Parts: sequence; C-alpha cells; structure tokens
Amino acid sequence: MLNAQFRKKVKLLVMAAFILGLQDLVAQSDPKGERRVTGTYAIQNATVTTAPGKTLSKATILIKNGIIESVGTNISIPKDAQLILADSLYIYPGFIDGASSAGVGKPADAERPANMDPSKPTDEVAGITPWRNVLDYFDKNNSQIGDWRKNGVTIAQIVPEGGMLPGKSAIVTFGHSSSSNVIAAQVGMSARFRALGGGRGYGVYPGTPLGIMAKYRDVYKNAEISAKHNRLFASTSGLARPEINKTSEAMYPVLDKNIPMVFEASSDIEVRRVLSLQKELGFRVVLAGVTEVDNVISEIKAANAAVLLSMKLPEDKITKAKTEGLSEEMMQRTKRIQESYENMLKQAAKLEAAGIPFGFAGLGSKSADMLKNLRIMTANGLSENGLVAALTTNPANILGIGKFAGTIEKGKLANLVIMTGPILSEDAQVKHVVADGYIFDYEVKPKKNGNEAKTNGSGNGTVSIEGVWDYVSDTPAGSSGGTMDIKRDGNGYKGTITYDSPSGGGKASSEMKNITVSGNTLSFSFGVAANGMSLDVEVSGEVNVSQFTGNLSLTDYGSFPLKATKKPNQSNF
Amino acid sequence: MKKIIIAALMVFGFGRVESQTPKGSVLIKNATVLTVTKGTLENTDVLVENGLIKKIGKNLQASNIQVIDATGKYLMPGIIDAHSHVALDAVNEATAPITSEVRMSDVIDPYDIGLYRALAGGVTISHALHGSANAIGGQSVTLKHRYGSGNPSDLVMTDAPRTIKFALGENPTRVHGRGNGIQPRTRMGVEAVIRNGFNEALQYKKAWEDYNAALKQKGANPIPPAYSERLQSLVDILDGKVIIHCHSYRADEIYMLIKVCREFGISKIVFQHVNEGFKVAPELAEYTMGASVFADWWAYKFEVYYSTAYNAAILMENNVITSINSDSGELIRHLYHEAGKAQRYGQLTDEQTLALITINPAKQLGIADKVGSIEEGKQADLVIFDGHPLSVYAIPQMTFVDGVKYFDVNEDSDDRRLKVSATEALEPIYLKEHEHRCMHGVDFFFTNFGRNLFTHEH
Repeated sequence: MLNAQFRKKVKLLVMAAFILGLQDLVAQSDPKGERRVTGTYAIQNATVTTAPGKTLSKATILIKNGIIESVGTNISIPKDAQLILADSLYIYPGFIDGASSAGVGKPADAERPANMDPSKPTDEVAGITPWRNVLDYFDKNNSQIGDWRKNGVTIAQIVPEGGMLPGKSAIVTFGHSSSSNVIAAQVGMSARFRALGGGRGYGVYPGTPLGIMAKYRDVYKNAEISAKHNRLFASTSGLARPEINKTSEAMYPVLDKNIPMVFEASSDIEVRRVLSLQKELGFRVVLAGVTEVDNVISEIKAANAAVLLSMKLPEDKITKAKTEGLSEEMMQRTKRIQESYENMLKQAAKLEAAGIPFGFAGLGSKSADMLKNLRIMTANGLSENGLVAALTTNPANILGIGKFAGTIEKGKLANLVIMTGPILSEDAQVKHVVADGYIFDYEVKPKKNGNEAKTNGSGNGTVSIEGVWDYVSDTPAGSSGGTMDIKRDGNGYKGTITYDSPSGGGKASSEMKNITVSGNTLSFSFGVAANGMSLDVEVSGEVNVSQFTGNLSLTDYGSFPLKATKKPNQSNF
Repeated sequence: MKKIIIAALMVFGFGRVESQTPKGSVLIKNATVLTVTKGTLENTDVLVENGLIKKIGKNLQASNIQVIDATGKYLMPGIIDAHSHVALDAVNEATAPITSEVRMSDVIDPYDIGLYRALAGGVTISHALHGSANAIGGQSVTLKHRYGSGNPSDLVMTDAPRTIKFALGENPTRVHGRGNGIQPRTRMGVEAVIRNGFNEALQYKKAWEDYNAALKQKGANPIPPAYSERLQSLVDILDGKVIIHCHSYRADEIYMLIKVCREFGISKIVFQHVNEGFKVAPELAEYTMGASVFADWWAYKFEVYYSTAYNAAILMENNVITSINSDSGELIRHLYHEAGKAQRYGQLTDEQTLALITINPAKQLGIADKVGSIEEGKQADLVIFDGHPLSVYAIPQMTFVDGVKYFDVNEDSDDRRLKVSATEALEPIYLKEHEHRCMHGVDFFFTNFGRNLFTHEH
C-alpha cells in the first residue's frame, strides 16, 4: 500500500515539475527534504503493553514502512533503522476513537426551495442525507486531528456533521499529511436525534424526537420497499420502473446489514429509543457517545448492541461545594447531586463489570480533557486492562479492524502511543505517537513542583502578550474574527475580546477571563450570550513573538483553529 | 436433551424479554368503599391478589399478604385523567397539519416527578396526549403510574386501546396557517385537512389491499406501494381501531367533526375541552364516546369565552359520557377538587361526580372493563382518602396501581426524584409549567396580541 502511495507521490512530483517548467527531474531527488530518511524505526528497551493485560519489559518494537515488523526482547536491528531509545518509556497500542468529529466540516445549509412547505421539506432540509460521505467533508490537515493525536489517538471512525441522518462514516488514521489517511470509507450510517429546525414559525418536519422517531421508521421501511421494487424490476419484465430515490438507495447497506447504524445516544432514555427502533426495524447498531448506562445495561446486552462511551464527563461543580450553613433540604439536595455526579464517573466501570466490551467516542468532548477524564474513570473503578481494551482492542473489534489494528503485534499497522509513565500515572505524558508508521514527537513538560506551578503574569521566560491582537477563527459556520485587547493588571492580565455578534449584525465583546501564560502557552476563556444561553468558550495555544496559533473550543460543539497576530505596538513607529 | 435445553431457554428467555410490571397483593379492611358503579359499601374489605381485585365483602381473610386497616377511611377507584401531558419529553410535533405517524409512546419520560405528584393526588392512570398544534396530531398513550423503574415501557398500559389526538380551531390555524402559511388557515381549512386525510387514507388502504390481493395470485409480481405510517394510522381510525380525542371548544366545530366522522363511519370519538359542549349535548350523547371537560376554566383565548361551570352537569344530565380532566401537571394533583366544583354548580350526586374522574374517563379511553370502578376482577388501582374525596378537607393517604403501593402519605420523603442532575443544585423550573401544556413546544408566532389572549395555552 505504501509503495503504491509512494509511487503516486513521485508521479505527482514529476507532474508538478513539468508544470513548473523545470527542465531536469530534480524533484525525484527530494530537494526540499520532505521525504523522510527512513521508514524503519526501532524503539528499544521499553515497557510494552502489546494488548490489554499483556506487557513485555525491556522490549523492542521494529517498524518498517508503516507495519510492525517484530516485537520482543531479542530482535536484530536492521542497519537502516532509526533508533529510538525508550528505556524509561511505556508503549501502548495506538488509541482508537470509535466515533469522532475531528477534522469533519459542516456541510453548507441546504438551499430551501422558494415557497417550501415546512411540513414537507426536502430530505436535505430535514437533515436526511444518508448518501453523503464524511470523507467529502474531512480535512486531514485540520488542527483537531493533531490535538487528538497528541493524546494518543491514531485511528478514528469519523462521523459526518448534519441532521438526523447526516451520512456515512469512515475510518481514518491520524497519520502523515502526505497520505489520504483513509482506512475504510462508508463503514457506518451515522444517525442521531437531531432536528434541524430553522425557518420561520415552527421549523420543518421532523422537529422533535416525536417526528424523528417516526421519520426513522418511514425512511427505513420505504427503503425496504424501494429495494424490493428494484429486485422485482431487475428480474421481471412488464413492471413500472422504480423511482430512484437517493435516500432509499443510500440505506440499502443498512438493510442488508452490511453496515451498522452508528447512532448517537447520550442518556439512557435515548439509548432505549435507539434500541426500540432497532428491535422494530432490525438494523445492526453501534451506540455512540453514551453517557448514562446503569439503567439500560440488560437491554444493551439483550440487543447485542456495541457501545462507544462518551469521553466527556460532567463538570465537577459539586464535590467541593460548601455544605455548612445550608438548610437540611439543601444539604440533602447537594448530597444527591454529589451522588449523581460520582455515578456519572462510574459508567465505564459499570460497563466493564457487566462484561460489555465497550470503546470510547471522542465526539462532543475536548481532546485536552481526554487523558484526564480516562484517569477519572479508572479512579472510579475501571480497571487498567479495561481502559486499554476500551482504547484499543474493543473499538478495533467494533469497527471490524481488529485484523490490523488494536494491538502491538507483527503485521499490524504501526500505531503506538509512547508515554513517559504507565498510562494511569498522573504524571505520564505522551512523548511520541506513532501513527501510520510516522513518528510524532511531543514536548514533555518537566514534572510540576509547587514553585513554578502556574505562571500567572510575567514569570521568567514567559512571552509578552500585552497589546491588541487581530484573530481569525474557522468554525463550521464560517470564518469569523475580531480583536483581543490584553492589558497588564497587577500580577496578571485583563482583556476584552470582540467577536461577530450571535444575534447578527456587528460585533459583540466579552471580558477575557482566566488569562494564563505558562511558558509560551496562552490560555483564556470568555462567555458569549446567544439566544438566552451563555456559551463558555475556551482558547488555548502557543505564542511565538507576535503570532498566536491555537484552538477555540466550545463545550458542546468541538474545537476550531484560531490564529491571531499582534498589532505592532504604536511606540514602535 | 438439546431440545429440552432450547425449550427451557425459550421459556426463560421470553419471561425476561417481556418484562412484567409489578403486581401486588393487599387486603384493605373496614373501608367505606366508593365503588362508583355499585354504590357505597360501608365497613367493607377489599382483597387484592396479584394486581387484581379478588373479592369485595366483609370479614375477608388472607394469609401472607399485607393488611391495611382503613377504618374510618374512604377507598375509591384510582383517579383517571383523560387529558394529560405528564411524563412526556415532547408534546407537539407542530411541523405538519397531520402527524398521525408520531407516537407519544416514543417520548415517555419515566423520570418525570409529575408522575409521583399525580399519584399523591390519587391519579393512577393518565392519558398522555399529543398537543393541539395539528388538525390531526400524534398517537397518544395511556399510562399507568408505575413510578420508579425508569423504564418507559413499564408505564404503558398495554391493554388499553390506541388513541389519537385531533385539534380544531385556533391552535392548528395559528400554527400552520398564520405561522407557516399553509393549510389550515381557517376552521374550514381544518375540516378540509381532516377530510383530505381520510380520503387519502382510503386510497392508501385500497392500494395495499390491491397489492396484497395480487400477491396471492400465482406468478404475479406486484410492486409494493409506498409505506406511510401517517396514512396507515388514519386507516386504522377508519377501521375503528383507534379512538379519536379531539381538542375543541366551539359548538359549531364540534358538530362539524361529528358530521365528518359519521360520513366516514367513525364512531369512536371523544371531544376534549368542549367548552361549548352544552350547546350540542344531545348530539354528543348520540354520536360520540363523550366529552372530557374542565370544571371552570375558560377565557384564556377568544374561542373559549362562551363557557360555563354548569357544562359538566348539563352534559351529564343529557347522557353524554362526561369526564373532568387536568391538561396540567398542577390540576392533576387534585382532580377530586375539580370534580367537586362540577358538583357544586350542577348539583350532581356523589356517584355522578366521582364517575367524572373514574369510570367515565375509563369509558372514554376504552378501558372501563379493566379499571375505573371497584369491582371484582378489575385491576386494583385504588386510592385511600382520610375523608370523603369530595370534601375539600380530604387528603389522599395511599395510592395503589395493580395492587402495588406507589404513594403513602406517611412514607412521603421530601425528595422523590428518581434522577437528579450531576451538576446543578437547582434544576430549572419553568414558570409556565403549571399551565396547560397542550401547546407545549410551540412558541407563539404573534406576540403582540396582548398577554391575556395567550398566557394560557391549551
């Protein structure tokens, strides 16, 4: 596979050379030095967890052109191998995200026909686009991919953006940008309880879970009828031709059980709704982004449904809540919330205890919280083997890629997470990630000790952030931008950020909160009032003199790249 | 051997898949039993076994079951609310004038604390209706208040017939006509939408009948028609398999729908709200399964001005099957007071008054052979009151569904929520929630008509 890709690349370069009018074919000699010196790596003397529960000490992993050549303690290293000394490091199979939206863009809103009757919208307007392929909306160079890879994710099933039936998912690797990184296309039919609404008045049909449930039955049963008509027409003469309907046609692989419905369901009530549809209609199902399971475990088992647990955990607003001075009633209420919160942390442990081989879904959660949240789950009962399985072998099996992914074995794809400590240790950081045979290196921060914990303000060696910055952020809704005006405030900073007003027209501004500079990392948050709701936005990234590159993340909507440039200081003129 | 194992697996397997709702046994001693259908029985015992009323009489004995001494207390059938939106995640699929394909059973919220509050008011069954935004709304579901399991299907009264919501007048015309610029814009349009729906359903029925007939012919290869649960549900109405519950106020439109139903051969129809029902009481008595009304609630919009507190009594005296409903998470907690108001105005007897909230709504939901009165063989949905339930001082003491006690005033802890937020100490409470929820989920498109017209939203 790689050879073919390599040839393709060369061919492209040759073509480029012709187009650029170069006389000699220097492109083949890689004058820009883009091609790596070797595709062979030997990672030596590490503690290697080859599969959940199987660990080798002082083992070496030999990788060649994207494939694991050998793993063991007694391996001869070829001459062309680049050595990576991993004496104190811990290696795990590359993590697999069972359902992710990393790098997936939102399709443009469907055009509404003039005088459209909102009770009979086109399928596109209603959010029913099962014919779409997520790869058509996937940007392999999107910074979100790097964000997840940094946490060890090397393979993900990506699901499309859109409405209730947004399209088909794909499996991609988070490898080098020279490859398409596609492992398999059209592997699942993405589905969710989402009404697109919009329009004046009361929105378009279906507008609530009521209509959405009915619409799933309608789409599925009419696809069955359409398939039947097609079969009859193919085998019999004298029949009316089938009316080609792309929604129905796109559903055929689901009817044939060739691909599952990858159904986003968070609460137990939503899980039950999916399972009742599944029971009624008979499709294969993967439950994605599940957050609550305790009340539906026996039903999940009975339906033999695959589960991708959400990596998102509720914000802890309660365990440290003060209870003194509260009335008895408020005390009891607070206690119940604490129990409820703690229970949400135990969902992974409960699935493991029930023997359900679940994976994880990064969908809707923040990459920066990934390892932290997984450690919270293990602190609440999930075993280390259970965690590793949920990150590797379980999702590999759910996605049907266990043959070549999920463990560190000869012949499997070279996807590894190389950490500075055992995965459960709080201090363990990701030092390297091998994705698709390419090595990605990360800066390992020294262990924090009390003295230089948070540098709030102008600590030694921190960058200067004061001034007015122009920023641009690319969100699915389009590109938007504004200014960040940061001033010194005592030992810290204060600032104001402007942005396109959500209510349309002009700019709105908010106070920047928690402005923190640590090393060359700048982070802050701000609140946006939209439709009576308050959205929390967090921004974090790296400052390089007058350039800032980072991400803007919206709790429930994912994270988007943000770039800013500091305006020249006026005193410099 | 293998066969036996398989057979055993099937037996056990089925037992587990079809989860049984809990059934209780209890002996209630020495109560004043308000049977509703068979008079009042003083100092009487009621024996419940496995969810059913086994025996009613004096000096009943039973071993190994709980005995409750109800001396000086009143026992009545569980109250039935023929119009409620409790325990629903969504109420209105307000995006199309006909949504007969949607099912309220899909959106049951088993965690709704409203269920427990209803139990505390003696209500054991509620009819969870679709809202009134559409001329033909969704398929409703009859719930038994088996609060506690968190499994929505445990709440469904599986032996109740199917029902569906219709709506006339201002709501559907406002939502679709004024809101979206589609039919119906007027009361005439509502009638047209319903007629067109039924006519289309007849064509749909014929298409499938032709197809199924052709399938039986040798060598035939008929093409299946398109599937539409929307039209199939209307076919089921025409075939008498579904009871219509129609939101209505004005006499003219009530009479209109009676005529439409007669034309299409439909006899299973109940009118809801029916504030002008007293004007067409003889017609309601002759052609319908009755009227489910408010005791004294009106004037929340233009079409509800011509109303009277004598409505229930006039309907009843004209032999209309009449019930009093809540349409509200608040009123559902004291429907016995609402019934009492009808008695206050219309001088109904105690038995007639209790029928308004027990056997009559049971008749309107097609479940009167199972619940709605205290009779041997019926399901043991029962409430014990400390006084006569039509006294304003009476307070429900215990509420049973299928012989299982779900409410006991003496064991009524402060926090009966099944599930709480993991983050919020104070979960949002919507100030309008106590109001009628028929138009739940439907924002008003016109906001400048003056508060009084729209603050109540049935």
